[in-house]
Amino acid sequence: MAVIGTGAERIERLGRIWEERPGVLGWITTTDHKRIGLLYLFTTLVLFAAGGVEALLLRTQLIKANNGLLSPEAYNELFTLHGVTMVFFFVIPISIGAFGNYLLPLMIGARDMAFPRMNALSFWIFLASGIFMYTSLAIGDAPDAGWFNYVPLSAARFSPGPNIDFYCLGLIFNGIASTLTAVNFIVTMFKGRAPGMSMNRMPLFCFAFLAVSLALVFALPPLNVALILLELDRQVGTHFYDVAGGGDPLLWQHLFWIFGHPEVYIIILPAFGIATSIIPTFTHRRMVAFPLVALAEILVALIGFGVWAHHMFATGLPAAETVYFSAVSLIIVVPSAIQLFAWLTTLLTGTPDFQTPLLFIVGFIVFFIIGGLSGVMFAAVPFDQQVTDTYFVVAHFHFVIFGAAVFPLLGGLYYWFPKVTGRMYSEPVGKLSFWLSFAGTAITFFPMHIVGLLGMPRRVYTYPHGLGWDATNLIETLGSYLLAVGLLMVAANLAVSRFRGKRVGRDPFDGATLEWEASSPPKPYNFPVIPTVSSPYPMWDRRDRKKDERKLERGEMVLDAGHETPATTVVDAELDEILEMPSDSPWPPLLALTLALVFVFLLTGHWVTAVVFAGASAAVLGAWHWKEPEEA
Amino acid sequence: MRQTRALPNGWWGMAVFMASEAALFGSLIGTYFYLEFTGRQWPLGGIAAPSVTAPLLLTATLVASSVPMALASAAARRGRTGATWLLVFAAFVVQSGYLAAQIVEYTSDLDKFQPDTNAYGSIYFTLLGAHHIHVAVGLLLDLWLLARLLSGLTDYRVKAVRAIALYWYVVTAIAVFVVATQVSPS
Repeated sequence: MAVIGTGAERIERLGRIWEERPGVLGWITTTDHKRIGLLYLFTTLVLFAAGGVEALLLRTQLIKANNGLLSPEAYNELFTLHGVTMVFFFVIPISIGAFGNYLLPLMIGARDMAFPRMNALSFWIFLASGIFMYTSLAIGDAPDAGWFNYVPLSAARFSPGPNIDFYCLGLIFNGIASTLTAVNFIVTMFKGRAPGMSMNRMPLFCFAFLAVSLALVFALPPLNVALILLELDRQVGTHFYDVAGGGDPLLWQHLFWIFGHPEVYIIILPAFGIATSIIPTFTHRRMVAFPLVALAEILVALIGFGVWAHHMFATGLPAAETVYFSAVSLIIVVPSAIQLFAWLTTLLTGTPDFQTPLLFIVGFIVFFIIGGLSGVMFAAVPFDQQVTDTYFVVAHFHFVIFGAAVFPLLGGLYYWFPKVTGRMYSEPVGKLSFWLSFAGTAITFFPMHIVGLLGMPRRVYTYPHGLGWDATNLIETLGSYLLAVGLLMVAANLAVSRFRGKRVGRDPFDGATLEWEASSPPKPYNFPVIPTVSSPYPMWDRRDRKKDERKLERGEMVLDAGHETPATTVVDAELDEILEMPSDSPWPPLLALTLALVFVFLLTGHWVTAVVFAGASAAVLGAWHWKEPEEA
Repeated sequence: MRQTRALPNGWWGMAVFMASEAALFGSLIGTYFYLEFTGRQWPLGGIAAPSVTAPLLLTATLVASSVPMALASAAARRGRTGATWLLVFAAFVVQSGYLAAQIVEYTSDLDKFQPDTNAYGSIYFTLLGAHHIHVAVGLLLDLWLLARLLSGLTDYRVKAVRAIALYWYVVTAIAVFVVATQVSPS
């Protein structure tokens, strides 16, 4: 280990070691978790815009009775693509890929993820799967059987076109990226934490992402099995979902919802994590009931696996099954409520400063309560059967996965904007954007409860006059335009502030977690000295941070002998070894490309060519691992 | 070799990844029994119940190949390059033989009924095929390892031996559940 030189020389040396290639090539071959996080952010924001335009088209079609803006076929494709985009190509990748990637290593005091090149691979696969999915729209064959794609509608007999094949293969491809990211996060959190950050001192944000990653690891395989079996039914002629051949269409629903309900918590848990970061900062107090909230985050992910059939109460399941799923659906309210009351108590017993990020969190709490209350109602089987497939359900899940999941993401964009750019957003515009988005969300989605109870089914492309639905639909559509204005204002605020905002230092909000110790924007090596941690709020332990600063001159924990980061023990985070990390690499984008070709040829039915590219992918993997980090 | 207290990142990465693979097979086996319990008879359509002896013997062979794998992992940690190479090679030979025999069985089953015969045929060939693909991937990992070990052991390669050994343990454990499902109608 190099111990010669002054602190300034060490910092200069770290900068040289961790520098990546300049220009566009640098972005393509990058393994820096922050750059990968930004790539995820911009890609998911583009896809969010696409999903948003689709939603606005749907709402405009429904603005009045018997509207003719969209054909029924176009409406089917747009609502399916809207759902698929928002769930698989926006909320999950922006929260995990963008927020998780950028912030997790910073929060645990690491220099990168456990597997930096695999992290890059996740992004390139995600991007390729997004392009794959949207190619279907470009050629006019977008998926059109709804985002949960029930058989027999999606079977070859009723959907002979390539639409559903795009859905199945696109989601399997996308799932590879999510699985790799989840594996990476779990190992990073287990092995990469700064010395002293034992499990019980890991920030709640990280606990939420740990819970999400665990849920992804176990939830995606049932989805992949469901999709593979459907693709086999469609292309090979198997009979998994075909009653005539001894199969069962309900099998699809079981497999899909065994994934689909944990998925809801995969969507919402990152939002919980962001809330537990923002609330302590702006109330100037530690979170109430830290261990309970951490356990509740993990419990929500766990119990989420036992409630899937409450999506299937209208399918004629045996009473014994519905009673069980009804009971579990009530139980899962308990860990959710623990977190809710912890946030409220922290707010009430602290001195809240309602700046823009905290406003978005308050909006989140309001929407989470509304969406949560309508969610509990579905645990009652007769009520569920009454409102299944009506706009009441649409209202419920938009409050949860738009109001409750996306508002913290918007708050998080504001909160960490100074960290990422080194500049401050405009506070008045931020507040205005919050109120417009808040009002827009409430006006768009709340009336859907009413029109749903009045009997309006979801997924209809139009409706006749005189059913009492006209006024509510008009209000909803106007609300969606207001919401769009609010979201555009968030984007405009951040885009303008990126260039015009007031410059800020590394810790403008007096935040509690280690990302605020790094400079704004953080250097490629994150920290000149690997921090040593003694509480879950390391930035509020001033003496610890002073000690770290003194280590720079002495050359302790600077690790400037190479591309290095420490590995610690899993539970106690005691320093175990110094790892030489891989630096930028061309292999991840190349592997994503060969994998994309596998999926393209599977789609077009060229099996042999697909196998050839699978072989090419294996060859790329072999070559990738030929050069070892120690010799790099 | 450097001594560490915690298991290496590569081992953990493989462990979490294999948890996801186990969930994949859990879903496939769940599908098998779901179809069995919703069907009127099993196997469907008068297909003969599978033979028991050959699949069980084959599985025992695969389980046995864990022994050289475990010894290779131990040898690698002690820095014995030659012993590691030979043990991985021994495991590779047994595992290849296993896959070859499995493929013979698979094709002879295909003469009796096909994936598109009925739902039993669909899940039978899909479940076994998924298992065989995992064995084939394991063989590729072995080959890569054997090629790398020719130029000696490094820290990185020791971790690779441990991770690939873990891959095989999990695939073998899954094989036990797969074969139990396969022969369950007999």
